Amino acid sequence: MAAAKPDSLPDFFETSRKGVADADLRRKLENSTGRHLEHVAHMRAEFPGYDGERDIARRIKDDAIGRLDELLIELKQKLEANGCTVFVAADAAEARDYILKVARKVGAHRVVKGKSMTTEEIDLNPALQAAGMEVVETDLGEYIVQLRRERPSHIITPAIHLSKEDIGQLFADHLGIAYTAEPEALTAAARERLRSIFLGADLGVTGVNFAIAETGTLVLIENEGNGRLTSTLPETFIAVMGIEKVIPQLADLSHFLEILARTGTGQKLTTYTNFISGPRREGELDGPRAMHVVIMDNGRSAMLADPVMREALYCLRCGACLNVCPVYRRIGGHAYNSPYPGPIGSIVSPNLFGSAAAKLPFASTLCGACRDICPVKIDIPRILLHLRAKETHAQPPTKWPADARRVRAGVRRFARMARYPRTLRLLSRLGGWMLRPFAHDGYLRWMPGPFKNWTRWGRDFPAPGARRRKPHGGA
Amino acid sequence: MSAFHKIIATVKSAIERSPRIAPPAHAHTPGVVVPVTHDARRAELISQFARELEAVGGAFLGVFSPDQVRARTLALAREIGAHTAAIGAGVTLDTAAVARALEQAGIAVIRPGASGDADRTSYRERLAACDLGIVEADAGIAATGTLAVVGTIASPNSLTLLPPANLIIFNADRIRADLAAAVAAIGAETFTTKRVALITGPSRTADIEKMIVIGVHGPKKLYALAIWPNQA
Repeated sequence: MAAAKPDSLPDFFETSRKGVADADLRRKLENSTGRHLEHVAHMRAEFPGYDGERDIARRIKDDAIGRLDELLIELKQKLEANGCTVFVAADAAEARDYILKVARKVGAHRVVKGKSMTTEEIDLNPALQAAGMEVVETDLGEYIVQLRRERPSHIITPAIHLSKEDIGQLFADHLGIAYTAEPEALTAAARERLRSIFLGADLGVTGVNFAIAETGTLVLIENEGNGRLTSTLPETFIAVMGIEKVIPQLADLSHFLEILARTGTGQKLTTYTNFISGPRREGELDGPRAMHVVIMDNGRSAMLADPVMREALYCLRCGACLNVCPVYRRIGGHAYNSPYPGPIGSIVSPNLFGSAAAKLPFASTLCGACRDICPVKIDIPRILLHLRAKETHAQPPTKWPADARRVRAGVRRFARMARYPRTLRLLSRLGGWMLRPFAHDGYLRWMPGPFKNWTRWGRDFPAPGARRRKPHGGA
Repeated sequence: MSAFHKIIATVKSAIERSPRIAPPAHAHTPGVVVPVTHDARRAELISQFARELEAVGGAFLGVFSPDQVRARTLALAREIGAHTAAIGAGVTLDTAAVARALEQAGIAVIRPGASGDADRTSYRERLAACDLGIVEADAGIAATGTLAVVGTIASPNSLTLLPPANLIIFNADRIRADLAAAVAAIGAETFTTKRVALITGPSRTADIEKMIVIGVHGPKKLYALAIWPNQA
């Protein structure tokens, strides 16, 4: 999908419309995101220090991003002192080429991957496959979407768009097991298949959650153990990270860990928090013989230079903003055509992928739920407005598809009318009186003419006037 | 100017254009210190640890004296029908004695030592095939039911990763209230030179419809027990 389309808006409109029309997808998304939000609400309630930790974590990120140049120099020195080879890449192509060069040099046949959004960002898998290597995603969700030849549709739950029945059928088709929709049985089948793949892999590639400059330590967070296996078993290990992942010192880490899993998965802490500082030492069983760290800019320093965008670099990639987003929950991750979907994706994608994602900031109702749940309190709606303003003033002007043009024209007409409040009141009363015969229990299930799109997707519209009869403020 | 310095220069000029906010103030207001004995505090933390571990699907076997640990470990090995076990060198515990007890009961024991490149693969396959991995943690974290395991030559990380079941032992003296305290106790030096894993429960996933399934890539079963040092 990295085949960047010059104008992705028609694409986004098409794909999002497809998502909205897919009632089955919506049910799956509601199911999974709803379950996640319940866990998160519980976690926030039982941890009174939660909000304080959020503020501290945000301040640490603020500080780290404000002296990122010094911290990157320190991180590189410490990692090298620990025996790592560090490569700093200006863009995706440089990062990809470096990884490919290392893979070729060690003669890698089979590459195992831990979950990593950064490698999705740089489209690593197709590049390795084109070089004749077998690439296996080992996170269960990533493994599932890889078998389907799809992109992950969520930052932390890649297969959130699939039901257990979908996955059962997929495994029956690809792994040659009898059909089952039992998550336990499906997980066991994947474990067995992947364990033998792990033991025969030559190269492991993962992302990075935090890089501690003080000690030159990479921190990898996960639940399954595939990240541990990927960084432990193969003879060569490559970790890929964006420049914004660096934090100053070891003592800062706990503030992030206290909030990351609570919002990301609704756990207090993920099952595994792995600290990796370098390759294995003499006599050790575990760890790679050689460890490479790719630190990538790829548009991040441009975000840093923009005072409004800057805080987008605080993002921990917990994925919670996707789950609360009313737009994401209706259309699913694939509609965004970016490895980073949802609210956070709508603000980082235009910076990472340019014009191909320039319209994503419009994929939001600006309801602010993302800002409220964000563990580091990123003001996503503010950034969305900032990016919309930029896009609105872009030259040449945006080409909007026909229905978007109609909506914009409608809003302009309304704005003109709203300047005459008395007329507006009169007209709306008139409209309400005309619609009243169609209402049931105070709601319209159907509306005429240009309004039919509102009720078309199963949304009822409150009948004008009907609500006025209910007492105000009463229980 | 090297490519690296070019990127650093780009970052630096970006920072200069973007206002910087004051560095973090780690305000900490101390509360009242309720007088409790050292033992009472440890017992309280261990019981909190046990609750949290059970909540994430682990099993807490209890608190034992160093001498009782042998018998309890053997009993566990029998309960789960283990034929082979791998035991890493202890931090405070003499795990050689535990290994002997298991061997006397007819359980084959793997005791890791320095490994060379030649035997690495077969060594790993043996670990993956054994029924129970036993290690001693450097620290326990009460607030989350977490065990901090430090990998060494004689106690590699694979022990808590490849076998299907794990017993992780920790010394009651090394229980800490929360993550920050445990990380501080382990110290920057260890994080720089060793592979450290914080383990909170058995391996799990929620990738299929957000339903929790225990035992994906890592161990399916996680048992923990605490050693209460012998009273003088």
